[in-house]
Amino acid sequence: MVGPTASLSPLVRADGSASYQCPSTGSNILGSVNAPVELPGRRDALKPEDATVEVFVKPGTAPASVGERYVEGIIRGVVGRLILGRERGYQRRGVVITLAIVGGENVSRGDSYLTLLPALLHTALLALLSASVPLSMTFSATVLSVDAAGKITREPSAEDAAAAKSLHVLAFSSKGHLLLNESQGAFDFDTWERVRERASAICHGTSVGEDGDVAMVESADGQPLEGTIRETVEDQVHRDYSWKIDAA
Amino acid sequence: MASTAPSLTLPPSQFARLQPHAYLLAHLSPPASSNQPSIRANGRAPSQFRTTYANTGSLTHTNGSAVVRVGDTTAVCGVRAEILPTDDIASWSVSHSSSSNTNKRRKIIKSENEEEEEEEEEEEEDPNEESHIQDLNLLVPNLSLSTGCAPGFIPGAPPSALAQSLSHQILNLLHTTRLVRAEDLRVWYQPPSLGGEELERHNAEEQMDVDVDEAARKDGEVKAFWVLYIDIMIVSMAGNPFDAAWAAVLAALRDTKLPRAWWDVDNEMVVCSDVVGEARKLTLRGLPVASSFAVFEADAAAGWRAVIVPDAEEERLIEEGDRKGIQRRWVLADPDGYEEGLSQERACVVVDKVRGKTVIVKMEKNGGWALDGKELKGLVDVSERRWEEVKTILEQC
Amino acid sequence: MSSPLILLPGDEIPSEYLPSSSSAPLRLGPGLRLLSQPPSSKPTSSTPSHVLTATQAGIFTTDAKKNAVSILSSPNRRYIPVVNDLVIAQVHHSSPDYFHCMVTPQAPHVVLGQLAFEGATKKTRPMLKQGDLVYARVLSVGLGAGAEVELTCVNPATGKAEPGGLGHLTGGMVFDISNGMAVRLMRASSASGQQQQEDGVAGLVVLDELGKKLEKVGGFEIAVGRNGKVWVDCSNGGDVAVKATVAIGRCLTTIDQHDLVPADQKKLVSRILREMKIEV
Repeated sequence: MVGPTASLSPLVRADGSASYQCPSTGSNILGSVNAPVELPGRRDALKPEDATVEVFVKPGTAPASVGERYVEGIIRGVVGRLILGRERGYQRRGVVITLAIVGGENVSRGDSYLTLLPALLHTALLALLSASVPLSMTFSATVLSVDAAGKITREPSAEDAAAAKSLHVLAFSSKGHLLLNESQGAFDFDTWERVRERASAICHGTSVGEDGDVAMVESADGQPLEGTIRETVEDQVHRDYSWKIDAA
Repeated sequence: MASTAPSLTLPPSQFARLQPHAYLLAHLSPPASSNQPSIRANGRAPSQFRTTYANTGSLTHTNGSAVVRVGDTTAVCGVRAEILPTDDIASWSVSHSSSSNTNKRRKIIKSENEEEEEEEEEEEEDPNEESHIQDLNLLVPNLSLSTGCAPGFIPGAPPSALAQSLSHQILNLLHTTRLVRAEDLRVWYQPPSLGGEELERHNAEEQMDVDVDEAARKDGEVKAFWVLYIDIMIVSMAGNPFDAAWAAVLAALRDTKLPRAWWDVDNEMVVCSDVVGEARKLTLRGLPVASSFAVFEADAAAGWRAVIVPDAEEERLIEEGDRKGIQRRWVLADPDGYEEGLSQERACVVVDKVRGKTVIVKMEKNGGWALDGKELKGLVDVSERRWEEVKTILEQC
Repeated sequence: MSSPLILLPGDEIPSEYLPSSSSAPLRLGPGLRLLSQPPSSKPTSSTPSHVLTATQAGIFTTDAKKNAVSILSSPNRRYIPVVNDLVIAQVHHSSPDYFHCMVTPQAPHVVLGQLAFEGATKKTRPMLKQGDLVYARVLSVGLGAGAEVELTCVNPATGKAEPGGLGHLTGGMVFDISNGMAVRLMRASSASGQQQQEDGVAGLVVLDELGKKLEKVGGFEIAVGRNGKVWVDCSNGGDVAVKATVAIGRCLTTIDQHDLVPADQKKLVSRILREMKIEV
């Protein structure tokens, strides 16, 4: 299957930026990060020893509404826990993440954002890396759908997602923790455990269970997402420091 | 750890304000010598929910209403039904014909795979109707955190991000659980050719119109939909607004009665009966119950400068430590406002029981890395017990 | 070190990459953190008691002289003032005691004391107008949110403009370059002449090359600000002064945008000088 593609720092003026395309879900996201920035004094931003993380999601065709507020909350929950907001220069300042949906399916009112969520999360992460915001670790995320027969589909298209019985978004940290789980639709716990195992294989390339089927899982899912993130960053570093690397 | 309970020279209420984290930690990890179970600052056991009360029909001017109180968090929900004639839906004629095509395709897929246990009637109406609720926005929930429900909510402010995301969560859950049947929201018009006495009332012209219609649709046609405006107000906010709001929505929908409505051919409009006896209740699918949790971590304040993140492998070692009595994190069911302020990781599980079998409808966790498979399994079990509790409460009210 | 070590946040630095010999304490630069081993793994195990972890993505570098390690992360991000950096600031407006200057367009103005110039007294303070350029050193960045950044053009201890050249920049032109390029140019210009390397310092030969070619027209002056600005002046050039200034600017910005290697830099210099018809 065709894996996602990403590039770092496409925007010149922002502190950090990233663009991310996922062909299977059809999403195309452009993200920027500005950090650290001065925030105007606000009642809810007064954490004396920590940075305030703000996330804005801009849909492609409509003004942002309640669905965006919700997905912004999810993204803030994930990255807010990874940003080291107590590093020097970040306390009492803001980390502002803006994610614009520039292509792909539109999300209408009341629809879940789950098919777009991994792409949004990856864009946010890459933009944070590009802005050199200190992080405790990185993560990778994927969305899986389960149809009525129990078949798991990786990164379903919008139609597949609408026909699915349940949808699951999982994010794993680079150290193997389950950072985020968003599941909706009817399912039982055994299904979820299968989903978790498959998602872990997609993100890390190794299944948690027996070692025997590792190779098979990898070939079915291509490169693990973690590797894609790492390669994107390495490419950019090679470009930025070609003079140094070539000289060495 | 044992030294975390020094002799207090200030009253507990002040200690709780000055050192909230240490205060809750001291409650949860009593000295090993005392042999006390860990208990929260509010006197509950970690997996204990607050006392829940529900009352329905409290608002007289709505079609259905409920007040649900979970501890000090109170949600009021009112359901107002309004008629949406299909003539007013711009895309109706287009979408209706096209959607019936796509739905047929979906229906085939569904019927192949659907387990046989599913009720027959449900399966029949399933594909079409669900998309009507979603496409035509027949359910419109709106949640407001009213001024003064908690100190942070000042008058005149726009809806907070929390209120907006709660509204979205409720709408999304209404859609994914397919709680309301679209059939209940439909106002049908049966063409009069079927019934003899109705025929008399119509003149010839109308008869012709109807005949044309009939050629297109055999059974009759939908002339209007009921739109349910579900307004939720959090009157008092003391943590965990979602559980209370969802329970209020559920109770209010169970209480909702729609008057009998029909298409009046002469006036070309939908009219309702004012006879109370003719009003019918909604028939809801299942009874999904939400349970929320927060994770309290012992070392949140210790990581003052550095956040030390152990590997997933090391996490397992920490769990081993748990069993030896050195507990570092506690999963608190139904957190109150004080506990929510001290924890970052949240989880929410919505379960339903269909013929004794537990079905998870929604499972979320975010904001940390303490909960994984094993812990979530535990939460599902707790949520199942909670389901029984809430079911009893809702059935009694 | 054959292949560079590229790290992502959360990666641990393999101990073989760390400078091992020195007894002096290891200095941690930006992007690295010392995370003590979590309490779960017992101290009895033979693992080292400290692990260095990256907090930013970038190349791991070591400096044997200072026994320091750091991570070079994304070079082209916005400039954030750091004490002792040299910057080129533009005066925005002045108040009785301070000039309010712009260092980066997105950030709040920084202040530069009216008397923070060499030889300035209350009577002889420099009369800078709006839009004037100043080459200055960051004196303090303040603490916490809303803190003001202060610049100076003198060394407060000696009252002299140290290092040389601080103060009002008259004539010349300013070109925008990336912050990464600014750092490289500073290293290249400070080291030029001292050691002749085949590839130049920091992969830049452009300054040496321009210096050689423009010797005939009287050479040029250059000031590099860490905030991604470079000021060039060829006022000795007579007729071609303006042309030469623009040519230098074009060379620098083109090299920055296209990441040219030293050989291409030499070609580019010749080509641009030829195109602009500057006699060499």
